[in-house]
Amino acid sequence: MTQSVTRATKTAKAHGDVVLDVSHLSIRFEGDNGPALAVSDLSFQVRAGERLGIAGESGSGKSVTAQALLGLLNGATVEGEVKFQGEDVLTMAPEKLRSLRGWEMSYIFQDPLSAMDPVRTVGDQVSQVLRLRGINRKEAKERTIDMLDQVGIRNPEARFGDFPHQFSGGMRQRAMIAMALIGDPVLVIADEPTTALDVRVQAQVIDLLHRLTEERGVAVVFITHDLAIMAGFAQRMMVMYGGRIVESGMTDDVYYGSTHPYTLGLLNSLPRVMGKIAKELLTIGGQPPAPTNLPSGCAFNPRCKYVLDQCRVDVPELAIPAGGNHLSRCHRSEWLADNRGELT
Amino acid sequence: MKEVMLDVINLVREFPVQGAAKEVVRAVDDVSFSVYEGEALGLVGESGSGKSTTARCMLRLIEPTSGSVLYRGRNILRMGKRDLKAFRREAQLVFQDPYSSLDPKMRVGDIISEGLQIHFPRMSRDEVNTELKQLLSLVGLREDHLNRFPESFSGGERQRIGIARALAVKPSLLVCDEPVASLDVSIQAQVLNLFQELKERLGLTIVFIAHDLATVRHLCQRVAVMEQGVIREIGPRDEIYTNPQHPYTRSLIAAVPDPDPKSEREKLRRRQAKVTGGSSS
Repeated sequence: MTQSVTRATKTAKAHGDVVLDVSHLSIRFEGDNGPALAVSDLSFQVRAGERLGIAGESGSGKSVTAQALLGLLNGATVEGEVKFQGEDVLTMAPEKLRSLRGWEMSYIFQDPLSAMDPVRTVGDQVSQVLRLRGINRKEAKERTIDMLDQVGIRNPEARFGDFPHQFSGGMRQRAMIAMALIGDPVLVIADEPTTALDVRVQAQVIDLLHRLTEERGVAVVFITHDLAIMAGFAQRMMVMYGGRIVESGMTDDVYYGSTHPYTLGLLNSLPRVMGKIAKELLTIGGQPPAPTNLPSGCAFNPRCKYVLDQCRVDVPELAIPAGGNHLSRCHRSEWLADNRGELT
Repeated sequence: MKEVMLDVINLVREFPVQGAAKEVVRAVDDVSFSVYEGEALGLVGESGSGKSTTARCMLRLIEPTSGSVLYRGRNILRMGKRDLKAFRREAQLVFQDPYSSLDPKMRVGDIISEGLQIHFPRMSRDEVNTELKQLLSLVGLREDHLNRFPESFSGGERQRIGIARALAVKPSLLVCDEPVASLDVSIQAQVLNLFQELKERLGLTIVFIAHDLATVRHLCQRVAVMEQGVIREIGPRDEIYTNPQHPYTRSLIAAVPDPDPKSEREKLRRRQAKVTGGSSS
């Protein structure tokens, strides 16, 4: 069992231990259009074996956050702490950080075609992490073939020597997942891992990630713009807007009892294959704000149909409203919790 | 019964296989279907299904290998230059990617009115400006947008510009190739509603191409499902969604996620039970 071999060399994590502790993370870029506040005062934790979903549209700060977690942000002003197994990733020495990446924590990119080297074989790339750890070529190859098999790549011995372009989109994403998991990490950041895929392949990738996290006890941060794809996967979730968490809680509590107008709007505007066909889809007017030009007060206020004068001035606190069961950053969350039934 | 606007008959399009001298791949393999006046037809399939190639052949943006496309009874594949130009005014395309489909060096007003200058060269400047103003309000843009360049617009606004450009020449048929796929979720619904409204107000016929069955359901009365260059199933919306006949249609419907954690978890559990109970031992 390869799993037990690698686990023994690392600190074993019991289910429920905090593996990632992000506190007061702010990320600022100096761009051509002035400073951009990509993320402000973000705090959250991920526990061992947990599946956390982060939902947001373009400019919400979700991908920038993901990059910060692995210390991948260059040229940004980053404040706050990102503690991975007790150590701050943001102040960590580069060598130490490199020894974590791919081994203790890894990343699944949205577009496997641009994330893989086109002139190296898939097997070579997947086994790289093992080779860098000094595992000999023969064993690395065996373990890679075993991993390719586990992610559902048929005939892995033969596919080991294939180049990325010889793989279909879905198979490439499986190879990316194999690459992310081969070092038996504690935490995997998956940034829109299904977005470039066909719907049937999306479901397969979700199933695969779900199965592997259950079997291996790895924690996953799953980032997506798609509230439908996340619904069955995430146990806990956060919704981001304008660089801030606007709602956060257990997945069921958020989907069935959202107390934030943005989340409610997103859920209502999704076209569905079942149920009644509305004459027109409910929409959120306007568009997401650019990080260079965030509205004052609550960033969602120009698009919000429940807006009050106060919303244009004060940024609401992230808090559990009376009558609610999870965090919401809205001046009217208490009202929304009370009037839940009449909102849709 | 409504009249047929467009008849696609035994359409075939082959592409040469790279690196193999005489091998070809059939992207569209003997496809036949009709588009009726005033309807919205959804053409759904995964990548590589041949849906976009079919759409391009329908507008003769690429030449089919064989088959015919009749527009109101006339074969567009046999049309001469002049007739084809007239057909191109009647049938317009909205592209998937609102970034690469707008010339970054042209102002919005010029982008939208280019078709007018080609198809209605005698139109005066004033008439063009009046048209432009109407088009802008139709798609939900403002007049002060006319002098700006595409770079200053968001994805959703760009797609509105692309739609205004297509509508400028007063087409009867609008072919939309995944027009919401690259937009933010909250913007997709806005654009879908816009198509619905335009269809009703202008009496447009729409062929709407998508890779998932959820987006077309709100707009299209009829749906065709394509796989591997072949139409697997075509029929009225309610038939397709509530009583799909082809296993491929069923698998497509089953794969569309619903923003409902309980039912999604149940679906996931069932799929995994199938995998462990089936293939692996």
